[in-house]
Amino acid sequence: MQSPQSLTEQSLVFQKRLRLFTRVLSTKAPIARTPKELVWTLNKTKLYRYTPVLPPQRRFRIPLLLVFAIMNRPYILDLRPGNSFVEFMIGRGFDVYLLDWGKPGIEDKGMKLDDYAMEYLPRAIRKMKAISGSDVFSMLGWCIGAILTTIYAALRPDDGLRNLLLLTAPLDFSNRDHVTFAKWTDERYFDFEKILDAFGNMPGEMIDSGAKALKPIDNYITNYCKLWDNLDNPRVVEAWHAMNTWVTDNIPMAGAAYRQLIVELYRKNALIRNQLRVKDQLVDLSRIQANLLTVIAEGDHITPPCQSEAILQKVSSIDKEVYRVPGGHIGIMAGSAAHRTTWPHIEQWLSARSH
Amino acid sequence: MPEVKNENAKVFDPFESLRGLRDSYLDAMSKTMVEAVNTESYAQATGAMLDYCLSASAPFRDALEKSMAQALQQLSLPSRQEVAALAERFTNVEMRLDDLDAKVDRLLSAMATLKQDQDAKAEPKRARQAKKRG
Repeated sequence: MQSPQSLTEQSLVFQKRLRLFTRVLSTKAPIARTPKELVWTLNKTKLYRYTPVLPPQRRFRIPLLLVFAIMNRPYILDLRPGNSFVEFMIGRGFDVYLLDWGKPGIEDKGMKLDDYAMEYLPRAIRKMKAISGSDVFSMLGWCIGAILTTIYAALRPDDGLRNLLLLTAPLDFSNRDHVTFAKWTDERYFDFEKILDAFGNMPGEMIDSGAKALKPIDNYITNYCKLWDNLDNPRVVEAWHAMNTWVTDNIPMAGAAYRQLIVELYRKNALIRNQLRVKDQLVDLSRIQANLLTVIAEGDHITPPCQSEAILQKVSSIDKEVYRVPGGHIGIMAGSAAHRTTWPHIEQWLSARSH
Repeated sequence: MPEVKNENAKVFDPFESLRGLRDSYLDAMSKTMVEAVNTESYAQATGAMLDYCLSASAPFRDALEKSMAQALQQLSLPSRQEVAALAERFTNVEMRLDDLDAKVDRLLSAMATLKQDQDAKAEPKRARQAKKRG
């Protein structure tokens, strides 16, 4: 039987663990620390240029623009020192720019994918070209960002896009058996217009709940058990804290863009069928000529692999490649193994095509 | 308060003895739930629940919106729609400024190119003049 002294000590240690657990859950981790400069803004959208760390003669001339989804914060690409894709790439001589779409307000409920892809994105690219002095550029689109960059690449093939990287790109919605979101957004069950009537934009909390509902036990229970079990490991706690900070920083999605996503993409699968019209122009994927790398997360339950495969047969790019990585939708770029798998592959692929 | 003498000693964890059981249970539940949420009946059920919540709350939202609009009007304060409309106009102004910025950039670039061409043309003439003087 344990002595009262020992029980007291253990009780104190347990209290300490509980305090740490509570602190991690209730505070924000310091994230997005790589030095950057705001170079352009329009409405809520901001373009940042990351401060180069290598001298000009050791840098690639062709800039790289990072485009993330419109309903999450883009600093997942620069999560924390030592686990930052941005930090990794600027350390290898890339001139990196990040497009932050910002948080749409009620006044932005009419913004469509057309506006993001063909009003804001081209303007940001124009500014990036002016600053970098390069007429050609590379662009990385992740998740919904991949939809926007694909639309841009198809409608502006002669605008200087040399290299297009698509990460976990939700482009093909034909395989409904494997795309859970396609089932949930079926027109028989999901009346999104009621949500948009009520809120204008699609609330970030609802989008987050939807994503978490794909794996409810993992996201609502196991995730917290993992934190509790590893409270004595500062590295794990720090990583968990940073990721949780990002996950809980939800932003809404512009109503009209959400409507397009559900109707045109999830229900009609218009993009991969070359039937999507943007700014009265038909998005013809065969017009994409840029070098293409599509990265597929084999354990992705948000964007299953089947959604990212068909693009390779649709584009006219001569240089195209698919890279499959074990991991989830976010984990392949922000997880602990990303610096050993995804990042080096992207860096090697891009560096060979950035001279 | 007594100090903790040895933090490396076994820590009291209420889950320790049940950890293995917990993990197995969660793993099994996770697989079951992933299959469950991927069914048409789940999609139908959540859709119905969402529809019910939104339909039930709609009259209250409408009433609140109307009374808020009236209150703001009486207080001579702008409504959310009015502020949003103003913000939209600001965005249009920003876009026009951005277009102007692009034109200025193009003009500056064209002027720089012109100056370079002129300098390139003037260089042989300057060289000949320098030779004459020399």
